[in-house]
Amino acid sequence: MKCVIEGNGVKVFGKAVHALSRIGNEIWLDPQEKGLAVRTVNSSQSAYACFCFTPLFFQQYIPDPDIQNGCEAVKCMLNMKCVLPLFRCASWKERRVDRCEISVNIPNSRVIFQFHCRHGITKTYNLGYQECEALQAVFPAHLCPNVLMAQSKLLGDIVVHFPVSQEEVTLSISSFKVTLKTFCEEENNCIKGMNTELMLHPDEFDYFQVGEDSAVTFCLKELRGLLSFAEPYGLPVNCQFGVAGQPVSFTVKDMTLEAHVVLSTLTDPNHESPSQPAPGDDCPVNVTNTSTAEITTCESPMETEVCVADGEHVASSQGSEVFNPDLHMRKMIQLHAPGEILPKLSLIPESALTTPVTPATSKIRSLLFGAVYSDGGKDKTADLPSLACASDTEDDGGTEE
Amino acid sequence: MKFRAKIIDVGCLNHFTRVVNTVSRLTKACVLRLTCDHLYFVLSGRVATGGVSMWCELSQVNFFDEFQLEGVSADANEIFLEVAPENFSRALKTAQNAKSVKIKLTKKTCPCLTLAAELPSLSSVSRVVTHDIPVDVIPRRLWHDFREPQMPDFDVSIYLPPLKTMKSVVDRMKNLSNYLVLEANLNGEMNLKIETDLVSVTTHFKELGNPPWGDDGSQSSSPTHRDPDLMAEARVDIKKLQQFLMGQQVNPSKAMCNIVHRRILHLIFLHEDVSLQYFIPAVE
Repeated sequence: MKCVIEGNGVKVFGKAVHALSRIGNEIWLDPQEKGLAVRTVNSSQSAYACFCFTPLFFQQYIPDPDIQNGCEAVKCMLNMKCVLPLFRCASWKERRVDRCEISVNIPNSRVIFQFHCRHGITKTYNLGYQECEALQAVFPAHLCPNVLMAQSKLLGDIVVHFPVSQEEVTLSISSFKVTLKTFCEEENNCIKGMNTELMLHPDEFDYFQVGEDSAVTFCLKELRGLLSFAEPYGLPVNCQFGVAGQPVSFTVKDMTLEAHVVLSTLTDPNHESPSQPAPGDDCPVNVTNTSTAEITTCESPMETEVCVADGEHVASSQGSEVFNPDLHMRKMIQLHAPGEILPKLSLIPESALTTPVTPATSKIRSLLFGAVYSDGGKDKTADLPSLACASDTEDDGGTEE
Repeated sequence: MKFRAKIIDVGCLNHFTRVVNTVSRLTKACVLRLTCDHLYFVLSGRVATGGVSMWCELSQVNFFDEFQLEGVSADANEIFLEVAPENFSRALKTAQNAKSVKIKLTKKTCPCLTLAAELPSLSSVSRVVTHDIPVDVIPRRLWHDFREPQMPDFDVSIYLPPLKTMKSVVDRMKNLSNYLVLEANLNGEMNLKIETDLVSVTTHFKELGNPPWGDDGSQSSSPTHRDPDLMAEARVDIKKLQQFLMGQQVNPSKAMCNIVHRRILHLIFLHEDVSLQYFIPAVE
């Protein structure tokens, strides 16, 4: 892979890295034909973020120069602590950096960041990477009953009322108001800290759709990175969610990039069943009816036709304007070691990332992804590659090899 | 016990916020005393605070458009609450452009001061942000701990130099020593001194002026008979002085200090509708 980013783009890329650093400790680079995907997931796998830079973003973008040798573009995982300092002092760098070249040296397992600065100075950083499977969350955002779209400034104005240290907040939606308030797990904690609640009228949003009154609790800290990225560029933010327990997704889109943050939410303690009903079932939004069918039957197309890296068959996702699923369907295949044809739906690759993942201890664990596909009827589809592939064997439900 | 108040003027809101910010920089916890006419932020000198005490008095009518209070009882029509001023400060911070701010005493899982700000919004309906600030109600039997401090029997009273100058001097001195001696006389002269094994530094201020307390204001037996050149001094922990100077957000109309020789440094800041007194005990 090789790409060249010119001056201003370096600043944007740096800001993206900053936003990702607020979530995870590792950064995944995944060069694809449709763009360079830069992703991260947090250690408890309750937060996932992906910045996908389209070829338009780059001065030059070559996903895999070795295609003639039959090599796939290599996916690299880097330590965030190594990458972040390269993009520190973004404004300073912006004045001095003319362009940045990122390339992958496969034989030496190095990702090379080369900054061409003013006065003929070139700074080259060779960072060792670990080759890995793609990190991908499959999140059918189009199935979310509730959708909010707002200018990033509005969200910034909302979020400013909450202390930076505030972890969890609850976002509630009903047809006449939207509320965001601090969340305390236990009564005792509330006594020490301040409780803040902000109430807005639906008119404040550029787009407001409530399919189902709900209240979702997620970690605000992890969202702040995306908001601080979007605000200077005045980009609108799209927020999609369902009922408690289902993940909430925030998307920022531009011609040159698409940023996506998916956060898990706390399950409603009053809910008896651990698995949520498939979101599509009761959802009154207009997605085609094939969407729900899609979830349960996707295994068959998966096993046969869709193996070929052509994800266009996914009918359901095409209903969504805001969420491009092709990427994901392709990803579901790419979870496997390159070159392997799927005999069956092997969802979690054997060779997961070598990074040890700490099992989540809090309630917000990878209900994130497991909760989306909750119809536990079919073993094969119950646990999908929707789980970030950084997961180790500790998953919801049974996974087949 | 009931309390509700409302601010609608943005200038009053800003001013009130600045006062709360100043208090929050001086102490992590203090007592908010509410009466029908005044609000007081009180910190009573304890070992825990190093003997420092504070008394900040606001006349409510200058800030609030509405102010209703029902105290503990008819003969004790006051409310004493222990609060963390930082919470208060944080709640006010993002409400600076509010159309109105309402404060009331409520009971959620614990007693709270609930601050509700009506903010401008993109739609016809205002945004409302509500902050619940946890407080502790102080029982009447402890009220005597938080009485207004007596004006000490001071030896010298003098106006302070410009705060900015004083602050920068104190900041630099802090790097050299933990203790600072503040001395002044009735001739308008003040010295800030530090002395260590290696170095001693003195900064001299002249022509500061002395407040005319007069016989009725001062409790000193014969202030006019004191030798005007005789210095009264107090050696204090420099951090405490620095903390006080750092906290000031607004230049007061009057800033002065009273010195009880080798006992107490009493700093007084007066602004139109706010008075702030700060007592720093002298150390040997």
